[in-house]
Amino acid sequence: MRGNKDTDNIKTLIIIPAYNESENLPKLFEALKKAGGDFDIIVINDCSKDNTEAICRENNIKVVSLPVNLGIGGAVQTGYRYALYHDYDIAIQLDGDGQHDPKFIPYLIKRIKEGNHLCIGSRFIENEGYQSSKIRRIGIRYFSRLIKLLTGTLITDPTSGFRACSREVIKLFANDYPKDYPEPETVVTVLRNKLKVIEMPVIMNAREGGKSSITNLKGIYYMIKVTLAIMIASISEKSVIEED
Amino acid sequence: MDMKMNMSGTLRTTLIIGSILFFVFIINMVRTKKLELKYALIWLLTSLSFIIMSVFPETVFLVARLLEVEVPANALFLCIIFLLLLMVFALTVAVSRHADRIKKLTQELALLKAELEDKNKT
Repeated sequence: MRGNKDTDNIKTLIIIPAYNESENLPKLFEALKKAGGDFDIIVINDCSKDNTEAICRENNIKVVSLPVNLGIGGAVQTGYRYALYHDYDIAIQLDGDGQHDPKFIPYLIKRIKEGNHLCIGSRFIENEGYQSSKIRRIGIRYFSRLIKLLTGTLITDPTSGFRACSREVIKLFANDYPKDYPEPETVVTVLRNKLKVIEMPVIMNAREGGKSSITNLKGIYYMIKVTLAIMIASISEKSVIEED
Repeated sequence: MDMKMNMSGTLRTTLIIGSILFFVFIINMVRTKKLELKYALIWLLTSLSFIIMSVFPETVFLVARLLEVEVPANALFLCIIFLLLLMVFALTVAVSRHADRIKKLTQELALLKAELEDKNKT
C-alpha cells in the first residue's frame, strides 16, 4: 500500500480496529484513497463473525486477524504494536464504522509533525457534524471536566477514537493499553507522562451501519468504570518510554 | 465444653467420611495432574484440617476460646470465610495476570501470522 515516500521520510500508519464492519469498510477504504497523503493502512480484525477479513483482502488492505476477540482496546493495541515493530513515526487510529472522515488525516499528521505527541480529533471545538445524543454529550462533558480537574488540561472530546500519535505515544500504547473503553483513560496516561496533547476540530458522521459498543444498558457501568479508570490513570506510575 | 455432646454420632461419622473422601479426591486430582501443585497445597491443607476438625471437634472449641468467640460454630465460620476470601482474592489476581498474558499472546500471534503471510506472498 505504500505510495511515494515523503521527502522527510516520515512513516505513517492508519490503524483501523474492526469488529463486524463489512458493511462500512468498503466506503471507508474509498474515502481513504480520496484522502490523499502518504500512509499505510492496517485493519485489525477483532475476530469478526462476518467477512471483514475477506473484504480487506479484496481491497488489498493489510489485515491482522486476532484469533480471539479482545475487544476494542486489545485490537487497537495490536495496531500500536505493529506500528512499533515496523518503526512507524506516526500512528493514526480511525474507527471502522465510518464515523471518522479520512479527509482530516493529513491535518492530524501535520499536528504531530509540528511536535505534538497526541492529537485528538474533537467534535466539540467547532460543534459541527454529528454531535452524538444529548445524554452522551453530558457524559462526555463530565469526563472532560474530570480530566481537567485531575490533569489541568482541557480536552473537549476525550472519548474520541480519532487520534494521531507520535513515536513516544506509540511506544507507550504498545506497552500498556486498557482493555475496554480505552480513550479517556489513555488521554490521562499520556498527559501524566508529560507528553503534549492537543485537539483539532473534526466533523464526525453518525454511524452508518453496525451498532455502537456502548448501548444504553451499559451506560451506567461505562460511566462508573471510566471514572474509576481515569482516577487510577491519574495516580498510576509513569511509564518508562525512554529505554532504547 | 459440654456443647460437643450436641454433635450426634451420625453427624460426626458423616463429617469424618466426607472429609476423608475430600482428601482422597484432592490427592487423586494432583496425581492425575488436573490440579497444579501450587494450588493443590492450599486444598490439601484445607482438607487435612477438615479431617482434624471432624475427628477431634475439641480443636474447634480450642480455636473459639483463643479467638474469644462465644459460639464455636461462629469461630469456625469466621476462619472459613477468612480463608475463602483469601483464596478468591488470590484467584482474582491469577485471573488478571492470565487475562493480560492471553491478550499479549493473542496479539503477538496475530501479528506473526500476518507477517508470515506477507513473507509467503513475496
